[in-house]
Amino acid sequence: MYTRRGFYSTAIFAIVYLVQLMIIDQVHLPFGGFSVFLIFTLCWAALSTPEIGAIVGFFAGLFTDFAPSSNGPVGQWALILAAIGFGIAFLRYGDDSLRSDPLSLVVFVAAAVVVAIVTYILLNALLGIDVGRVSQLARTVIGNGLWSLAIAPFVLPIASRLHRAIFETREFQ
Amino acid sequence: MRYGGDNRSRLLLVTLIVTSLFLITLDLRGVSLITGLRHGTQSMLGPFQRAASTAFSPVGSFFSDIAHLGRTRSELKSLEAQNSQLRSTLIDRKNIETQIKQLKSVLNLSGTGGYKIVSAKVISQGTSASFSQSITIDVGANAHVTRDMTVLCGDGLVGVVKEVYASTALVMLESDPSFRVGVRIAGSQEIGILSGQGTDRAILQLLDSQTTVKVGDVLLSRGSEGGKPFVPGVPVGTVTSVPNSAGSVSQLAEVQFFTHLHSLGIVAVVVSPPITDPRDALVPAKPIPTPVPTVTIYVTPTPTPIPSTTPTAKK
Repeated sequence: MYTRRGFYSTAIFAIVYLVQLMIIDQVHLPFGGFSVFLIFTLCWAALSTPEIGAIVGFFAGLFTDFAPSSNGPVGQWALILAAIGFGIAFLRYGDDSLRSDPLSLVVFVAAAVVVAIVTYILLNALLGIDVGRVSQLARTVIGNGLWSLAIAPFVLPIASRLHRAIFETREFQ
Repeated sequence: MRYGGDNRSRLLLVTLIVTSLFLITLDLRGVSLITGLRHGTQSMLGPFQRAASTAFSPVGSFFSDIAHLGRTRSELKSLEAQNSQLRSTLIDRKNIETQIKQLKSVLNLSGTGGYKIVSAKVISQGTSASFSQSITIDVGANAHVTRDMTVLCGDGLVGVVKEVYASTALVMLESDPSFRVGVRIAGSQEIGILSGQGTDRAILQLLDSQTTVKVGDVLLSRGSEGGKPFVPGVPVGTVTSVPNSAGSVSQLAEVQFFTHLHSLGIVAVVVSPPITDPRDALVPAKPIPTPVPTVTIYVTPTPTPIPSTTPTAKK
């Protein structure tokens, strides 16, 4: 059962990853664009238990670390997304108001995207990797947050349906 | 009710974080396994990305253009300005190249002839109040140019200085209808007078009616007393036609000037004549004819169909 769930989840994440890499990354959207893979991962984590949220975040982070556009060391995104995946699932799981309100979940995911990117930038700075100018970073973070707010309402229902089909234990209402 | 998470989930989180930190450390230390994995992933994804880039590049450019509309406009303006500047630089460069070429040829000619010259740039070309065919050059009394000095260019004679001002001079071109120059035919040394006709052709009048002149003869300036107004040996033109005039007192011939008077850029004023007459030393070399390839076409006759002699079978 775990193998089947793991296999299907990996396949879905691989497809979303390819969509990100082959379509979203090729279309140079204004204000830094967005990462549908990141939004999907955080939506998926928000719908899961904290254990699954952390595992999903860890492996999705590894996917991102191995992406051609990644400039940080391998394991950096895995660290960030494991922690945020756990965190978002932990907060979502016990908060009934969040579970019942899709709009608040969208805002929650967008905020998590912003937190993930800010953490990534801070870690890069700590590791001595050039992160660019502050104005550029601010534009990227704000742009990503706004894009995520706009895109998450479309990603969330898809993630919810797929999650329900695989796990059949929790569902998005 | 908030899900607090048990020890197992906390342990899992700690394990994942430690694993991540371990991976980061390995990668930063340059462990070949991690680097190899990364390279492997990137080489596997490369073809997909290239294909996607080809397919989506117009869409990407569209969004990029929208996002950077202001910047694109200013870049466009800047590029237009640069383009215009480069065009004018290119034109200037071409102009300078032509002038250098002309200067080189005039220096060659004066060097071979032994003339002492002052080079000058043509600053105005056209008719003036006094002469119908004239040019203005940018040297004058300040460069010790005086009246009746010979003006030449790389191809040969241009004209003679008629008016001198402080820093400019007016030159009467050899094509002017009132222009006369004593010439001699290179080789035979027969002498005559060349008169301008207002065009790029002139009329040669030989002083001796018994002299024979033929098409292709080269004319050189004969030279005047003290090198003024004409120094000897300057190429003037070539005979292009000799009209049949058996009964006339003197023989006439039509001459084409060597100098292209419409495209003068750099000229030289001869300020001092040569010590010795250069004679025929400045006769321009005849152009080497370029061989024209002959195309031979072989036509193979098509066999004529022979009418069949076999009678048609009748039923």
